[in-house]
Amino acid sequence: MRSWRLAGALGLSAALLVLSACEYAGLFRPSVLGQVDPEMATLMNELPNLDEPNEAIIGRIYATGGASRAELGSDGIMRDRIRIPKDEYLWYPAVIIMPRGGTLELDITNEDHRLHAIFAASNGDRQIMSLPAATRGVIRVQLDQPGYYWFGCPVENHLGRGMLGLVLVKGEVPPEARLDRPPQPQAGNRRPPRAHH
Amino acid sequence: MRTTKLAFVAAAASLLAGCYPSERAPNWPVTQRQEPFKQLDAAMRHSAPPVADAVTFERIVRARSEPHNWLTYYGAYDGHRFSSLRQINTDNVARLRPAWTFQAVPIGIIPKHSEFTLEAAPIVVDGVMFLAGWDGYVWALDAATGEELWRYRHAIPLDTPLCCGNVNRGVAVARGKVFYSTPNGHLLALDARTGEPVWTKIWVDVRAGESSTMAPLIVKNMVIVGSSGAEYGVRGHIDAFDIDTGQRIWRRYGVPKPGEPGSETWGNEEAWQRGGGSAWITGSYDPALDLLYWNTSNPSPDFDGSPRPGDNLYTDSVLALDPNTGEIRWHYQFTPHDVWDYSGVNENILFEEGGRKLLAHFDKNGYLFVLDRQTGARVRIVRFYDRANWGRIDPATGAVSDRREPTREGIEICPGPAGAKEWPHATYSQQTGLLYTPVVDACATFRKFPMPFREGLSWHGGDFKVDRAQVHGGAVKAYRPDGTLVWEWRSRHPIVASLLSTAGGLVFVGTPDGIFIALDARSGRQVWQFRTGSGIHSNPVTYSVNGTQYIAVPTGAGGWMKGFSPELLGHERGGTLFAFSLADAASAGAQSSAGSPR
Repeated sequence: MRSWRLAGALGLSAALLVLSACEYAGLFRPSVLGQVDPEMATLMNELPNLDEPNEAIIGRIYATGGASRAELGSDGIMRDRIRIPKDEYLWYPAVIIMPRGGTLELDITNEDHRLHAIFAASNGDRQIMSLPAATRGVIRVQLDQPGYYWFGCPVENHLGRGMLGLVLVKGEVPPEARLDRPPQPQAGNRRPPRAHH
Repeated sequence: MRTTKLAFVAAAASLLAGCYPSERAPNWPVTQRQEPFKQLDAAMRHSAPPVADAVTFERIVRARSEPHNWLTYYGAYDGHRFSSLRQINTDNVARLRPAWTFQAVPIGIIPKHSEFTLEAAPIVVDGVMFLAGWDGYVWALDAATGEELWRYRHAIPLDTPLCCGNVNRGVAVARGKVFYSTPNGHLLALDARTGEPVWTKIWVDVRAGESSTMAPLIVKNMVIVGSSGAEYGVRGHIDAFDIDTGQRIWRRYGVPKPGEPGSETWGNEEAWQRGGGSAWITGSYDPALDLLYWNTSNPSPDFDGSPRPGDNLYTDSVLALDPNTGEIRWHYQFTPHDVWDYSGVNENILFEEGGRKLLAHFDKNGYLFVLDRQTGARVRIVRFYDRANWGRIDPATGAVSDRREPTREGIEICPGPAGAKEWPHATYSQQTGLLYTPVVDACATFRKFPMPFREGLSWHGGDFKVDRAQVHGGAVKAYRPDGTLVWEWRSRHPIVASLLSTAGGLVFVGTPDGIFIALDARSGRQVWQFRTGSGIHSNPVTYSVNGTQYIAVPTGAGGWMKGFSPELLGHERGGTLFAFSLADAASAGAQSSAGSPR
């Protein structure tokens, strides 16, 4: 009996070790569990049903659009891939995170059997790329400031049905643009104070 | 026990399976490529004639000698917003008709949809108009036809901290470049022929709540800009950059650090760090005195003065700056210890009286200040808003008494936080010798309450509400510089568009419900109007091309309407620039043909 318990404990530890490499394990961190709001959990459960009439939008963006961190290449360009799945009216992922301002290259595959396009914010002018059914294209945008920007599909009312995405640019303004003053109180508990310029 | 073990293994396996995406994108060849949106317009030329190459500081100093152009924000450094063009005049203004329009309607998602508006003063150089819009847009247009020559759009983050609308008041043009400051504080030098960026300088801190809305000013080899954001507890500043390289030459903060002159007016050792005093309206410049007159906005927080006892220099002040160094030569504060958001940023009109060099400033607090612009000495103070009850300024001493401050319960104070005159500018007619000012006749209920400061979040220390019953309308008032009221023209809604005076004996004014009006400059009688269909909250200008005089007015309601015209929040709003000329003068001959018969 004792050996079974030992094996069980070892097996559980091994499983947890493996699991810790994936995102699910992170959900059980105290810092995440501490934020679970019963009302939010209810919302998450109900969202996919709430928008059932048009089988799109809120629940899907919220629950399955996902977020992705663009990878910084050796050439200084940040890259990511986006899929447009069949019959979903969705970018997957719908949130692209850039570690800093610069050039973002999006490699987009339209797996849907209808025309889509991407209309994306970029310095100089907005960029547009047409994506006929079952095609793949590459688009580059220049975004130079911390903050978030949107991209969307301008075909028919695809934007309204769920094809809305965001590019989140992390980082700070350059030191010379900062105000000459000591670090200031920040909103929220987890936001670290900004370094003093 | 075996069952338990199997269940455990199955659960672990299913969890592990969820760790990997079930589908990956197919490895198809890349066949699709991007295009800039503007490339879809096959008719766009993507280039403008090189008119800006010959625009120099010396030429802007002499801007009055070329009235066919509108070379700088106020038309000239003196802040007059007056033109000596007279083709359109009181005798023929009834024949004024739209010559062309330029429509700028936002596509897709922009921050603060509800409050976008065209506020710019278009700059016109030898037949080319340079216009800035909301949300990062700059256009070069053919000033005779409205044809779009090029377009530049800077991508603006949706979370840019914009206190009072997604707006911009225009560009500056010199040495072949168009200078434009984006809402998120990138100062851009664009090639005036193509719209391509030559250099970029980030000069405001969006993470601290700063933004940018004003039109830059060219002085000597510098492009000068002032920050926005005093509703966010920033420390406002005016910066000068080298026109060729974008290197910063100086920065002047609106709130001094401990130990600096003026710091003794902040009775709290931390208040200076977030004291406001931004500088979001373009200054005037006197080339003979070599003095730059640039004003500052309200202290922070707006309505609760308790975190910042004292007069709070240099907020709500005019600063006479040495343009070479940014040093303050003199200052004059219009509203000491402001608790009403009476930003003192409005224009300074430079004029002479009996050989004395003076400066006139209609302030949000309802008083006209006339100062000696060499010394800053007070010459006269005249109340132009009769309903003002926030306090009383002694015209002889400038001292403020009978202050009526926001309370915890709420109290009606006049004017409201939009002021008796919002930022839109007064004009001085060199023909009539009169000053004309737009007036907002609205009060508000002000409340104050303690509010903790958090960097990057708005920090008002209270709030306000303008009820419909508190909006009494608006006016254009004409004054002699000695303070005598000559005439008053009343309007149903507050006037929040800059005035334009011309040697045709006219004063042009736009209303927030979209009517563009010409008044007789001598009598105040309305002599012409045109319904544009969207509110006017901008800087109309005049210019001429090939002998035809045009009046251009950008339209588009918005920009903090809750502060001055809450009764119009549901009103239609667009974004169109109208260029008017006399019906027979433009003769549509300048229009290029859109097609030809086979």
